Amino acid sequence: MALAACPECDLLLNRHQAVVGEKAHCPRCGYLLQRPAKQSVERTLALSIAGLILIFPANLLPLVGIKILGNSHDGTLWSGVFTLFSEGMWAVAILVFLSSMCFPMLNILLSLFVSFHLHFKKPSKYLSVWLRWLQHLEEWAMLEVYMLGIIVACVKLASMAEVQFGLGLYAFIALIIINGMLTSNLDGYLFWQQVRQLNKTHEN
Amino acid sequence: MKTKAGALNQGLIRCHDCGTLSQLNTHSCPVCASHLHARLPHSLQRTAALVISGYALYLPANLFPIMTVTRLGTGEPHTIVGGIFALIDSDMVPVALLVLVASILVPVIKLLGLTLLLLSVHFRWPINARFWTIIYRIIAFVGRWSMLDIFMITILVSLVNLGGVAQVIAGPAATAFASVVVLTMFAATSFDPRLIWDNPNAYD
Repeated sequence: MALAACPECDLLLNRHQAVVGEKAHCPRCGYLLQRPAKQSVERTLALSIAGLILIFPANLLPLVGIKILGNSHDGTLWSGVFTLFSEGMWAVAILVFLSSMCFPMLNILLSLFVSFHLHFKKPSKYLSVWLRWLQHLEEWAMLEVYMLGIIVACVKLASMAEVQFGLGLYAFIALIIINGMLTSNLDGYLFWQQVRQLNKTHEN
Repeated sequence: MKTKAGALNQGLIRCHDCGTLSQLNTHSCPVCASHLHARLPHSLQRTAALVISGYALYLPANLFPIMTVTRLGTGEPHTIVGGIFALIDSDMVPVALLVLVASILVPVIKLLGLTLLLLSVHFRWPINARFWTIIYRIIAFVGRWSMLDIFMITILVSLVNLGGVAQVIAGPAATAFASVVVLTMFAATSFDPRLIWDNPNAYD
């Protein structure tokens, strides 16, 4: 048992280590303190490698294409950002670039770095920095919102053009699934515990 | 009575990043080296500033056109509300509802919810702390889904780019709307929900 505090209501708690299949909630405000996952570190490592591979086709191959009066046109993640930028909407272009390309990539890289170091027990002075950035960047990577945007755009276009799905879209959907599994597998409480232990043994 | 249960009342502060408890006068976390604060610094002021900016930008976001659709030479500017009506007109009611929730309801609920949270903490209203913590959690969770409209426009702009035949151009409201989304997301992260529980008149 260890002393801990709830991040949302500051209740002082005696923490038991939750086991896989259990959920630890704060008794006062109901905050989800921990949801342990099976082999959290190993799965995070495997999923982040899978994500890293999928990021390339998802970013480079066309997601959707349209055909109007014989003219066809493909769109990739990057072409949207580029068109917005060239139309002078640079602020929106930067935001879209960050939330659909940069932060998802960073998220996967940071998960990879952290889980690699924890799995192979390699201490690093950057471990806590990576883990902290990972926690802060998580909500700014918006792949699943982008997917919903694709669906709405396709519905809007369906009346005026023929919509075709590209290979990139399949990679993109796979990436969203991998990303979701990554988020639900990463047990922050366990990760911080292991970082603490690893750095402690390294000091001795 | 209940505030006695808080970690701060026992002279302990929780690290925002790794959750380690430290004595009150510690400046940086012994585990991850983050700066320690009992509560997020200037939480109310920062959140209030971001929420007010959000309100200010909400007007241009809804009054100006968010995109202009040109078909065979004739251009037609759309506001956010106009886009929803266009979807209803083409019998896409479920999608219209989705856009209504993501682009109109979510930003309004976020701004009003955060305003009520700020007022209740500042004026020490006797509120149900548990209920308002859940409201805060919902506000923090739904924020990113408002980006739906921005992503949809990004896709339309890059796909429907066929010169005189058909073209979609992003309008000035896109920048304003994107700013509202980002400002309210920052507002939600800068609000410290533990302040709800610090209110001596609140109950649970």
